[in-house]
Amino acid sequence: MSSIAILIWVINVTLDTVGHVALKFAATADQQESTEIKRWKSMFGSFPLWVGIVCFCLEFVVWLAFLSVLSLSQGVLLGAINMVSIVIAGRLVFKERLDRMRLMGMALITIGVIFVGLYA
Amino acid sequence: MKKTRFYMIGFSALMLCDTLTQISFKLASNHGGDFVMHLDWFLSIFSQPWIYGAVLGYLGSFVAWMTLLKHAPVGPAFAASHLEVVLVLVVSAVYFGDRLAPMQIVGALLIVIGIICLSFSEAEQENVENH
Repeated sequence: MSSIAILIWVINVTLDTVGHVALKFAATADQQESTEIKRWKSMFGSFPLWVGIVCFCLEFVVWLAFLSVLSLSQGVLLGAINMVSIVIAGRLVFKERLDRMRLMGMALITIGVIFVGLYA
Repeated sequence: MKKTRFYMIGFSALMLCDTLTQISFKLASNHGGDFVMHLDWFLSIFSQPWIYGAVLGYLGSFVAWMTLLKHAPVGPAFAASHLEVVLVLVVSAVYFGDRLAPMQIVGALLIVIGIICLSFSEAEQENVENH
């Protein structure tokens, strides 16, 4: 993998993880609203929601750049690391449960991504 | 029977939309050539139709995902939303002529098994929360 591909990959993982965490913050921040419409109104006024939207818009462009320097098959396989980073972020930020099956899944995906990345 | 058909159609729609998104991304990025941090690169990408295929695929995935989640258990839904990797690999081999090194094929298998483990964990967690 070229250094530019690695740089774009790291930016992509960062944007995806921050985007998901921000959306989770926005979705869970205010659960006191009486109706669904009020909840959405409140969400649209929240800073984390816009952080998430900006991250995903940027990710759209970054993913295009990533696929321009790698084949599609390698790109989607390397992109699987996003799942691992999001689970880790979920644990660190929201104290989400990490059971044995989840840890095994994360380990397998990480090893798989390393194999794909080493030969890309 | 009705439920089975709903799942089959829903999961297939989700995988197809996700795959359409990724293929459109690749075709769009091929048009621009290797990435360069220059306005011309972005303009060449956004001036041709495949980029809108990616947007359409995203919208389709979103609708399929939200419809599925209403009825389907989260574990299989999670797996279906990520196992488009398999379909993308097949399409990229057939359509783009991508070839993976033997170790990369091993890596791909590990990733797919890992995704299945994560979806089992999701399903288990939902069961715990429901009881």
